[in-house]
Amino acid sequence: MAKGLHGLPQRANLMAVRILLVDDHPIVRQGLRTLLEGRPGWEVVGEASDGVEALDKVEVLQPDVVVLDVTMPRMNGLEACRRIQQQKRKTSLEVLFVTQHDSPQMMREALDAGARGYVVKSNAARDLLEAVEAVSQHRVFTALARGPQASC
Amino acid sequence: MKLRILLADDHEIVRRGLCSLLQKREGWEVCGEASDGREAVEMARQLKPDVVIVDIGMPYLNGLDTTRQLLQLDPNFKVIVLTITDSDQVIREALDAGARGFVLKSDAARDLVAAVEALQSKRMFFTPRVNDLVLAGFLEKGHAISRTEPPDLPTLTAREREVTQLLAEGKSSKEVAVLLNLSTKTVETHRSNIMRKLSLHSIRDLVVYAIKNNIIQIQMPPQLRTVSETTVV
Repeated sequence: MAKGLHGLPQRANLMAVRILLVDDHPIVRQGLRTLLEGRPGWEVVGEASDGVEALDKVEVLQPDVVVLDVTMPRMNGLEACRRIQQQKRKTSLEVLFVTQHDSPQMMREALDAGARGYVVKSNAARDLLEAVEAVSQHRVFTALARGPQASC
Repeated sequence: MKLRILLADDHEIVRRGLCSLLQKREGWEVCGEASDGREAVEMARQLKPDVVIVDIGMPYLNGLDTTRQLLQLDPNFKVIVLTITDSDQVIREALDAGARGFVLKSDAARDLVAAVEALQSKRMFFTPRVNDLVLAGFLEKGHAISRTEPPDLPTLTAREREVTQLLAEGKSSKEVAVLLNLSTKTVETHRSNIMRKLSLHSIRDLVVYAIKNNIIQIQMPPQLRTVSETTVV
């Protein structure tokens, strides 16, 4: 059986997760989608290209997890995250940042804005699946470039 | 025969997106993926792809110098540069380096297939926004793009640019020596020559030079703890 963090066995994830992707680059959204849709039970229910569109899509689609970029036109991800927290009707909704900013300060800012997870884009292929799984179960997952850390 | 494409981008997630886009086309295959410029040059040497798609902002060897090295290796390589910026200077440098396609990353999902097709037919391709800039530059200045601010790059040799990038990325002379398979003494000689040629006095100056001349790229974070740039009802 695969070992997770701290050497604990990983639980098979059969839980359905509805995901909204938010990034201003369609090619990045395509890459994220390719990665996420390989996971049985997970569904990318929509995409948005900035924070304003993300707020609309959250309202309409009611996803379980919003995968959110930081630097975007019209409204950046931090502000979008704060507003999602204010307006969310579904209490189980969680936000996971996937960003180029490999910075503890930015990570702190994201968590303060209400995000449950933070992954650096250069390592997204390595960390994204584990991060979505963690935040969909309301666990914190943060990973700067040097490696992931998860907690309950 | 299949059209063979080599991808070079330091973000695997972007490469996945590009792969998924390009492999939908019948008769096209992604024959290799590189995560930095040096790896791209080495893979191109071995795989001999028809088209190389190169991100500008890559570690170890940026996309502009990668393009130069690729075309030095084989002038028949068709190179498309992917970039997040459409500044005059970057466009000019990409063209000077020998790239024949220029696509903004934000437009890649829309334009990349058309760019590959254009190069396949021995035509050039610019993302429409860049095309307008090139045309405007041509009409205003009588040549393709404004040259009012020539970059300082031509004063450095290809090897010196490589050393400049690695030093600006924070590597020590010893680390640079290992990466480039040189002696530390040779790297230090390159370093002194670079500093002298460019009239720089510190590594800080070198980093600023590298950023200004697109040898390395940085992404500015949004202002922290501020409201968004827009008001949403």
